[in-house]
Amino acid sequence: MKHLLRQTFRSGKFLVGFVIFMTILLTVLIYPLFVKDPPLGIISRGTFLAPGIYVNVYDSMNSSPRYTLILEGAASRRVAGKLGDDDRQAMQEWLVAKGVPEDSIDIADTAGLIALWESNFDPSLRLPGMTNADRNYYIRLTASLEGLLATEDAVVAAANPETGALEEIGVITQTDYVNVGEVPNSRLFVLGTDNFGRDVLTELVSATGVSLIIGFVAGIVATTIGLILGLVSGYIGGLVDDIIVFITNLFTVIPTFVLLILISFSIGQEQRGAFTIAVVIGVTSWVWTTRAVRAQVVSLRNRDHVNLSKLSGHSVAYILAMDILPYIASYVVMALILQISSAILAEAGLSILGLGPRTTEVPTLGLMMRWGLIYQAHVLNYWWAIFPVILVIALITFSLNLMNTGLDQVFNPALRE
Amino acid sequence: MSKVILEVNELTTNYVTRFREKIYAVDHVSLKVEEGKSVGIAGESGCGKSTLALSLMGYYFAPLHYSSGEIIVDGRNISGMDPDDVRKTILGREISYIPQAAMNALNPTQRVINFIEDVIQAHYPKTTKKEIYELARERFELLGLPAEVLRKYPVELSGGMKQRTVIATSVILSPKVLIADEPSSALDVTSQKMVIKMIMDLMNKGIIKALIFITHELPLLYNVTDDIMVMYAGQIVERGTAEQMVFDPIHPYTRALMGSIIVPEAGLRDVKLAAIPGTPPNLKNPPSGCRFADRCKFVKPECRAISVGLRDAGEGRAYRCIIPEEDLRKAYQSEG
Amino acid sequence: MKGYRDYFLRKLGWFAITVVVAFILNFTLPRLMPGDPVAAIVARMAQGMSNATGVQAVYEQYTELFATDRPIPEQFFIYIRNVLNGDFGYSISQYPRTVGEVINASVWWTIALQFPAIIVGWILGNTLGAMAAYLRKGFDRVLLPVSLFLSNIPPFGMAVILLVIFAVNLKWLPTSGGYRFDMVPNSSWEFVWSVIVHYQLPFWSIVLITIGGQAIGMRSMAIYELNADYVKYARFLGIKDSKIIRYVFRNAMLPQITGLALSIGTMVFGAVVAEIIFNYPGIGSTMLTAVLGGDYPLISAATLIITFMVLIAFFALEIIYGLIDPRIKAAQSE
Repeated sequence: MKHLLRQTFRSGKFLVGFVIFMTILLTVLIYPLFVKDPPLGIISRGTFLAPGIYVNVYDSMNSSPRYTLILEGAASRRVAGKLGDDDRQAMQEWLVAKGVPEDSIDIADTAGLIALWESNFDPSLRLPGMTNADRNYYIRLTASLEGLLATEDAVVAAANPETGALEEIGVITQTDYVNVGEVPNSRLFVLGTDNFGRDVLTELVSATGVSLIIGFVAGIVATTIGLILGLVSGYIGGLVDDIIVFITNLFTVIPTFVLLILISFSIGQEQRGAFTIAVVIGVTSWVWTTRAVRAQVVSLRNRDHVNLSKLSGHSVAYILAMDILPYIASYVVMALILQISSAILAEAGLSILGLGPRTTEVPTLGLMMRWGLIYQAHVLNYWWAIFPVILVIALITFSLNLMNTGLDQVFNPALRE
Repeated sequence: MSKVILEVNELTTNYVTRFREKIYAVDHVSLKVEEGKSVGIAGESGCGKSTLALSLMGYYFAPLHYSSGEIIVDGRNISGMDPDDVRKTILGREISYIPQAAMNALNPTQRVINFIEDVIQAHYPKTTKKEIYELARERFELLGLPAEVLRKYPVELSGGMKQRTVIATSVILSPKVLIADEPSSALDVTSQKMVIKMIMDLMNKGIIKALIFITHELPLLYNVTDDIMVMYAGQIVERGTAEQMVFDPIHPYTRALMGSIIVPEAGLRDVKLAAIPGTPPNLKNPPSGCRFADRCKFVKPECRAISVGLRDAGEGRAYRCIIPEEDLRKAYQSEG
Repeated sequence: MKGYRDYFLRKLGWFAITVVVAFILNFTLPRLMPGDPVAAIVARMAQGMSNATGVQAVYEQYTELFATDRPIPEQFFIYIRNVLNGDFGYSISQYPRTVGEVINASVWWTIALQFPAIIVGWILGNTLGAMAAYLRKGFDRVLLPVSLFLSNIPPFGMAVILLVIFAVNLKWLPTSGGYRFDMVPNSSWEFVWSVIVHYQLPFWSIVLITIGGQAIGMRSMAIYELNADYVKYARFLGIKDSKIIRYVFRNAMLPQITGLALSIGTMVFGAVVAEIIFNYPGIGSTMLTAVLGGDYPLISAATLIITFMVLIAFFALEIIYGLIDPRIKAAQSE
């Protein structure tokens, strides 16, 4: 046993798969120790905030100390941040469409462009081919140009609670900086927020955990059913065997996902917890384990040690557990690994169809996919709400498949090249 | 002295492993087969006898590579020939082969006749299917196989029938030399006898002119071949006539090989049964000196230091041992 | 030919049995569940749904069509009769369309998408796998990791990736639908072109998913066959390598047909989900609307039609396999 274990870890494929899987598993276990936010807590008002560090504006305005940094190009970066190349291009298009000669527009010259824009732009003018969305865009753009080139300091004022008059409480110059670490309120969104304004990373870690549990539960249910049916069918034989083989063959052909859909739909949204879904997936996917176990048992049934055990008067249960199970244990483990990965995929597919676990309690990878898709995150290019989920699913299945291949090579030396 | 059909001089071939190490599985092997004669090659599994069979074909593909030496078939040196020429003019026509695992030697999804068509057309592209069928039917019937076999798929044939079909297919072009690699070892006793009888028929009916028969059962060769060579760790350790080798072995390994097998035949019954202790050496790093030293009962310190060539023992016999023939015989006698 | 006829008849009998079982499951499973949707539909009547007249019509027709007031065994035979007549009643979510109409409008899209895509993916995957096995070295070193990677991306993930790259970022192809949203299906060139353009992304995402798994399977099958004894034997009888390769690939391909048959169910599930991502007007999107609308008659009919499609595909593959693999005929005639 020890030898086999050592050999398993010497298989490169198994090792890579194992490392990836353990990394995912450890992240799921350790992350909540550091980030204690509820995974489904809604933090942002807006949806799909992009990944980044969010710094409290009020705090940074009032932050003391404030530092003065003289950085080259700060002004032009400030301009570029508000007036990007796309915007300049769009302004040129508008101006040309209005009749301004193209050679008189230099989009690299910010001041000249803004001057030209301010003298020509008319929000009420409808140019041919311009949609409402385009018009709104130009109006927004014009508003953002306001004070773009200003070099004066900004004055911070607060309303006097008694008189209601504005009183100056501070001046912010363009060279003022605060240290993000000293601002009491800032928040890092590694993967932004989702359509509900939840932190995607926290939700993803929790969803990965739930999906893994679904995988394990479904895998164990399927493997247990498959193992029992396979053992009984292979060892006892006769009519029992015929019946089990018949049923197994039936469900090899009849697509199991159809059963999954029918059952999940029939259970109804309210009854569908993550655990229920896991059990349903497990109950519909034992076929391959049964086949594999039965084939092994049939080949073991007449081995000498089994016959000896029979002659010694051991019970069927004893023989199955002591004389047959050890020989098929490796197959069962491999089948379990495959079941886990296919169960995680099945949950995702079901959830996308709207038949996954009910949404209010726990996140799952499938539910994250579902909401991302419903809110069009993929079409609107909010990659952080959907790609990390796909990546995690792919990594889980990839690592499990690699471990499985590695095990296969250890247990079936004929496959080694 | 009759004409030499196959002559092999100092043939050396090697395997290349995944880690680019070379393993010399056939190490300076020489042999000569005269017209109408047969040579048996015996040895334990892993001694290089199957590799020798492959090497003798003169056609190499990865992981087996040609290293040095010559193979001369009917006066024509084929080592160093362009591989495609070897394929077209030698394989199947001059030298043919019966594989060890005849059970799986035929393409499972092809009728026997279609495979024979491919074999013949690989050498004579202009032959028509009808001619091929006639030829095959004639050859099969001559060898006592029903013509219906031709129309069958390999799965439809029994084990013995499959093996006989393979043999008949191998000699469809009447090759001069036939190399049979353990053609009967996977079969039951009845089929074994039939197969051996069939191979001997090939010689008797003049379909082939020389036979090399490879097996791990040395005593089996006594009934089949004229001469016997014993191989150990890629080298020939002893050669002589079948009579000499079976009843009067010189080399300790030959003697041990004789003793390691139960032979239910008269005259051989009282040879006592004893497996040879130990395993053949790793050919990645063959030991210096005699390669059998580690397992030899009569080993002396100098055995591990000096590597000895084949020593002539007269009457075409030769053995590879540092101890002289007379001393070995004395040692055997005192052992009983 | 007798051998093949036996094989065919046996498979046909097996096909008939699976169809019957599919019927039984489709009928009984929902009725066994605690939240029996048949009862739920009736219960929903009291609460009053959005379309009051529609609800009434659905209810009346439903009671009549499914004979919910009769005992279960009788219901089953009425159900069978209705299915054979193609009569599934009104769709709840898309009233006043009947379920038959909704299915008929979507199932052909699915067949036209999935059938060619799976076939093309299978052919490409097998060709690549065979090449990897034969060429080894550089080609294999690139192809194997790529296929491993491809085969581990979930089907819906592949759809999203392609959509984001080619429709959202490069804007080469449309993001969703089966044709332009402002068009009405007709036989003009413009419409056909629109259909072709919308077809590309769903098609290639299914093809890519199929390729990965098939290439890996074919590669290991072909490597196994290349080391088979018959290859060595054929070589030593002087047969050209090009001919031997043909033996090998033919033999390696045969198990791949069985493999396709066995995995067709999973593949169709993946493709159905991919359809949803592209908002393709096939059976996948129909199921999604049915689920969202709690439309039991539509779900039941959609799952039944998919089961049929998969069973027919499975049966067809077995028939083809029997024709191509001589061992089947031989084994039967013994």
